[in-house]
Amino acid sequence: MEKELLRELESLVGSEWVVSAKEAIEGYLYDETPPPLRPKASENVVVVKPRNAEEVSKILILANKRRIPIFPRGGGTGLAGACIPTMSGIVLSLERMNSITVDSENLMAEAEAGATLKDLIEAADKAGLSFPLHPGDEGAQIGGLIACNAGGARAVKTGIMRNCVKGLEVVLPTGEILRLGGKILKNNVGYDLMHLLIGSEGTLAIITKAWIKLQPRDAASATIVIPFEKREQALGMVPKIFQEGIIPLAVEYVERNLVEKVGKSLGLKWPCTSAEYQLMIILSEPSEDALLGVLEKLLGLCEKSGALEPIVAETRKEQDEILKIRSEIYSTLKPDMVDILDTTVPPARMIELIRIVNELEKKHGVYMPVYGHAGDGNLHVHLMKWDGWTDERYDELRRMIYEKTLELGGTITGEHGIGYLRKKYMEEVLEGKAIELMKAIKRIFDPNNILNPDKVLP
Amino acid sequence: MEGFRIVVLIKQVPDIEKVRFDVETGRVDRSSAPAETNPFDLNALEAALQIKERCGGTVTVISMGPRQAESSLKDAIARGADRAILLTDPRLAGADTIATARALAAAIKKLGGFDLILCGEKTVDGDTGQVGPEVAELLGIPHAAYVCELREISRDRVVVVSDMGDKYLYELELPALLTVTRELNTPRLPTLKDLLRAKRAGIEVWTADDLSEHVPANMLGYQGSRTRVVKVVIPSAEHRKGIIYRGEDAVEKIAEILLSEVAAI
Repeated sequence: MEKELLRELESLVGSEWVVSAKEAIEGYLYDETPPPLRPKASENVVVVKPRNAEEVSKILILANKRRIPIFPRGGGTGLAGACIPTMSGIVLSLERMNSITVDSENLMAEAEAGATLKDLIEAADKAGLSFPLHPGDEGAQIGGLIACNAGGARAVKTGIMRNCVKGLEVVLPTGEILRLGGKILKNNVGYDLMHLLIGSEGTLAIITKAWIKLQPRDAASATIVIPFEKREQALGMVPKIFQEGIIPLAVEYVERNLVEKVGKSLGLKWPCTSAEYQLMIILSEPSEDALLGVLEKLLGLCEKSGALEPIVAETRKEQDEILKIRSEIYSTLKPDMVDILDTTVPPARMIELIRIVNELEKKHGVYMPVYGHAGDGNLHVHLMKWDGWTDERYDELRRMIYEKTLELGGTITGEHGIGYLRKKYMEEVLEGKAIELMKAIKRIFDPNNILNPDKVLP
Repeated sequence: MEGFRIVVLIKQVPDIEKVRFDVETGRVDRSSAPAETNPFDLNALEAALQIKERCGGTVTVISMGPRQAESSLKDAIARGADRAILLTDPRLAGADTIATARALAAAIKKLGGFDLILCGEKTVDGDTGQVGPEVAELLGIPHAAYVCELREISRDRVVVVSDMGDKYLYELELPALLTVTRELNTPRLPTLKDLLRAKRAGIEVWTADDLSEHVPANMLGYQGSRTRVVKVVIPSAEHRKGIIYRGEDAVEKIAEILLSEVAAI
């Protein structure tokens, strides 16, 4: 990086918070995207760590004037390469902006962008409330979770990130600081810019602060694992759970061979050994009696759906261990993985998608580990390192799965986002006019295309 | 051959990672965290269930505590225990370890015969590890603490490995008492059906009067306790400090700090 730029940045945030030494920036170049797919990061970058929205604004004004690309960075837990600096520029890390305050009266957290998911869960808990979402890695930061509209396992009852965010403070690429929404549950003033920014993957504005809706803490929870001999039975039960009036925190589909392998690698034991295809359901209810009522309904449903003997965990430790195994499937598979797909279909059609995956497995003679958020119709199909497979062959298979997903009324990414990896498939999913509108919106927010310049839009 | 008569002692404790302490009074704020079975006690119950499955017999679970501890006993029934007894009475409240052990030992005597008593190595709230061995002493039977492996069990003896920092192999005559560690096994989860059945089940409740044949009430609870909590001190949490030293003498400064820390240790 040129010396003069470094000096100018140092004058804005202090010399301690401008980092350009090779070994110091290494940890800021990549995210959790599987290495075989991720783009190469430019090493000619400077990492800048502002303390507040005003400093962010000054950095953006400077970058906009000099046409320097800005790559916003949160916890680096993304899976689509959205924060990878693909060209020379500034990596804007919000890690120092990490304060959280909780307003118990309004059940609302005010969190700076660099606070982590773990910080938010703990702050809510300390205030006697809860933040129910759990989009995986607790090192993820609030800004990134919102910019990527994260989902994860526990999104069935309370929705995804978009449903929890009620207000944002953002800095535009041109330097203006905007406050959109706040601690309010209804807001009908004009176009909803806040929701436009949620999920925009750092291409339209830098999120610096958010007001996030918390929930009262439920008094009783349980994690149930239901085994089935047939995959159809497992997935066939999912819509019935909702029809019965049961709204779990999470409904996950897992396959025993996979979770047992993951458990072993963590020194834990997957508690249900009786059949291959399993649903993992997390219930959270306001009282013991309410939980009991739901468990009774669920048992009745299991009996009608051909399930084998379901097991239940009620202690926090036992529930945490099951969720831990489920959450670590990705990191266990990662060393042998080429891609994790994030296809999402109407929940009742998941079984059709899995059948298609099975047919493709047979056709190509490969094994694609599959698990997913069954309650949301969000299925993670994994492409693994197979002998003799070229990039082209992987792409052909990926496109085949995408095509079938779209035929089922689905979409190619439910929660991971487009980032860098999936740009090339955008045109297959969206109408030309929709992409045209998105590009026009990008130009209005970011006339010089400095913010995450080669992400999301094709 | 008649099966083993196994007694498991369990305690309901607050979730220790979530519970808050009232710094002023030094008391545990029980409303700040959900209650659950002491995790080590689940390993004791699992060991009992495995012995029952292998050799036949019955598993009786006993807990002393307030009425809400019934939920832990129901959980034990759901996991496979045959019988559960709750010792609850205002006269049992405020007990130290010896008064607790007296109540539990009296309850075990009242049950009649037994072959093996199992309990967790300690409770996560009290953290003393004393109650199990005290019960054994009061009953006049041998015990082994911190059992991490159960090698053999036969009609009249049990061979175990005890982890006291170093590992020891013990052979005990039955009846005996073992306190067990988390390494011994992985506790099973109840089936949904068993859990629901247990939730509806009634739990036997015994009071100080039920124990009076074996121990007088004035030896129980706060009155029977020989130790008193005089003061509870909660250490303040230490936070990491980040200091950045720059310039040519940075290395020297850091070395100086490290050396002074070493000297302090």
